[in-house]
Amino acid sequence: MNRQLQELIARAEERFLADGDLKVLESYVASIPDRLETYRILRDRELTMVQAVADELSPSLPGVAEADLKKALQGLLLVLRYCAMGILTDDEGLLKQQLLGWLEQVSGPEAKKVNEVVYKLFNQQVRQHLNETQMNLLQPFLTTAQVTLIY
Amino acid sequence: MISVADLIQDSRVPGNYFEYRSYVRGELEMGLLENRRGDRLLAVPDTLIAALYEGLAKETGQAARLVLFNCGKWWGKSFYSRFVEWLTEYYGMPVADMEMQLFGLCLQECWRTHGWGRFELDIAHQEQGFLVVKTRNSPYAKPLPKMHRPSCHLEAGVLASFFSRLSGRELTAVQIACESMGADRNEFVLGLPERLKPAVAGVEEGLDREAIWARLLA
Repeated sequence: MNRQLQELIARAEERFLADGDLKVLESYVASIPDRLETYRILRDRELTMVQAVADELSPSLPGVAEADLKKALQGLLLVLRYCAMGILTDDEGLLKQQLLGWLEQVSGPEAKKVNEVVYKLFNQQVRQHLNETQMNLLQPFLTTAQVTLIY
Repeated sequence: MISVADLIQDSRVPGNYFEYRSYVRGELEMGLLENRRGDRLLAVPDTLIAALYEGLAKETGQAARLVLFNCGKWWGKSFYSRFVEWLTEYYGMPVADMEMQLFGLCLQECWRTHGWGRFELDIAHQEQGFLVVKTRNSPYAKPLPKMHRPSCHLEAGVLASFFSRLSGRELTAVQIACESMGADRNEFVLGLPERLKPAVAGVEEGLDREAIWARLLA
């Protein structure tokens, strides 16, 4: 869950929540239907979207070994799953702290070129499946992943 | 043609096995802290490690070093078996097929998540027959008073045993830098006992890590 909310909940014995604190909670609650819908789409179309990326990946990078392409796609699957959970719980830290550092190390610097193509293709895919509101929920997570894994 | 469905194992995509929030679990109402497979974890206080050091030194004198090293070897032996079992099951492949980079990263994450400090495997001297492990914030160095010689014998034993089983050859580990001596890290050189004799002698003579390396690479 959103770190700000987690912190407020952990301070239950200190004080009641102020109106401003409750506004944070209200805003999160109001966004839940969109978050749930986005999560469902990402969950149900994971295979379709990532398979479409995989199908275009080999022709786009003819010189790259299949094992390296598979590794990048497995990374994308992980990113997608952490993005989905991050959207649902409004928690960007989940992706950053639990996955990206690990993925960056396990992929190595030579994976950046492959990831550049993978995320370009994935961005094209995901825009075909999500509307603008849903895309706005996903984009910050995706940008964070791209900044870590490509640049 | 890559099949994405084949990259998913029973609806699971393996990531970092030792990721703290997924790895450390427990039934706190039962007083149990466990890892993700249900093996028990213990939080050992610094004071217990310090007490073990003191008790052993008092009862066995200089032999305490050897006792700790051998305890580490026993620990390392079963640690290696469990580590390999965890990774094989989680990544769905035998360790022999795993990329060395992934194996090393898992070991590094395992060390960190268990609170044993930061772990770094350095293979720069692999061709000369030496593996180097550097650890920082070691719980085995911290409880020690200011020392005049490297003193993480337990850790040295674990590493010797772990990498012996990994390489299939009987290796030993010599610590050439220690946080208890004011160094910024602990440094262990692993290799065949015969090749490490100059390092053992260097430690006995009180040489620093640079001087010991100069002898090893001479």
